[in-house]
Amino acid sequence: MSIEGIFREGFVTTSLDTVINWTRTGSLWPVTFGLACCAIEMMHTGMARYDLDRYGIIFRASPRHSDVMVVAGTVTNKMAPAMRRIYEQLAEPRWVVSMGSCANGGGYYHYSYSVVRGCDRIVPVDVYVPGCPPTAEALLYGLLQLQNKIKRTSTIARS
Amino acid sequence: MSAKLERLSQILRIVLEGRLRSLAENRGEITVEVGAEDYLEVVRTLRDHAELRFEQLMDIFGVDYSAYGNAACQSGRRFATVLHLLSIEHNWRLRLRVFCPDDGFPVMDSVCGLWPSANWQEREAFDMYGIMYSGHPDLRRILTDYGFEGHPLRKDFPVYGYTEMRYDEEAGRVIYQPVTIEPRENIPRVVREAGYGDAGHV
Repeated sequence: MSIEGIFREGFVTTSLDTVINWTRTGSLWPVTFGLACCAIEMMHTGMARYDLDRYGIIFRASPRHSDVMVVAGTVTNKMAPAMRRIYEQLAEPRWVVSMGSCANGGGYYHYSYSVVRGCDRIVPVDVYVPGCPPTAEALLYGLLQLQNKIKRTSTIARS
Repeated sequence: MSAKLERLSQILRIVLEGRLRSLAENRGEITVEVGAEDYLEVVRTLRDHAELRFEQLMDIFGVDYSAYGNAACQSGRRFATVLHLLSIEHNWRLRLRVFCPDDGFPVMDSVCGLWPSANWQEREAFDMYGIMYSGHPDLRRILTDYGFEGHPLRKDFPVYGYTEMRYDEEAGRVIYQPVTIEPRENIPRVVREAGYGDAGHV
């Protein structure tokens, strides 16, 4: 669609759902939450080469500023209550990306006495990113998949 | 044995006369074993004696010998504490092994009074093996979860533990429940030649 016509008319029409989802996908702010080596890959994704900023994905130091939580690493039993607390502090609407084998299902530490066998036992997960650790591209792809998932939601209830 | 180690072992034999259970050289370092009743006194001597001067404590850890393969190493006791010491002045190192006298309730003297850095290391050995360090100022668990039961590096502790964690919707919090996964055979099927990995010490 060319925009010349829009300039002449001075307005466009769209659905409110589309606008809401566009604003949500355009400013996914993840809470800085790294648990293990996956956090290093997450940092790479945020740095200059993959540059999450260009998607409006900006890491925040407080869960109360954030929409999404990237569980990057091994969730231990000792960490699990703290992780749940951080999840509950995220402002609604909120999403969780599980990054790496350990967060997906325990991974290498599945048979360990001290590790939660998947962070979905603690918080609801939207996107699982496989890998050990996933590459920066894989995490980026996972975040784009999360954007696609958000775009499919309908905020306005229709009877 | 190099001349330097020879000299160290001679000094040790003289200084620790009567208290030395064994002395062996392995991989370029000396391993000595002393009794638990002499432990604190021996360690103090190792630190303060002008000829030895092990002023730095590198590491403390526990060992559970209950399933140990090398029968020659077994003294009949289950738990041991091993200290790695370093003398910067003389540039030599030492391993010191002490077996706990009681297998059911292993108690050792704490060396926190000699090296403050022993504090957390003894807490770790307590956490993992349940070795009690008497005289320790603050003997709490350090690594495992609050309220954890058992000592995970003991040989009779299953690797998958007894409990696992999940979020409970009704309780609204993270709870412990009995472990639900099936135990897994995780002993590697490796055929080794006789003497493979033999440490060579007595």
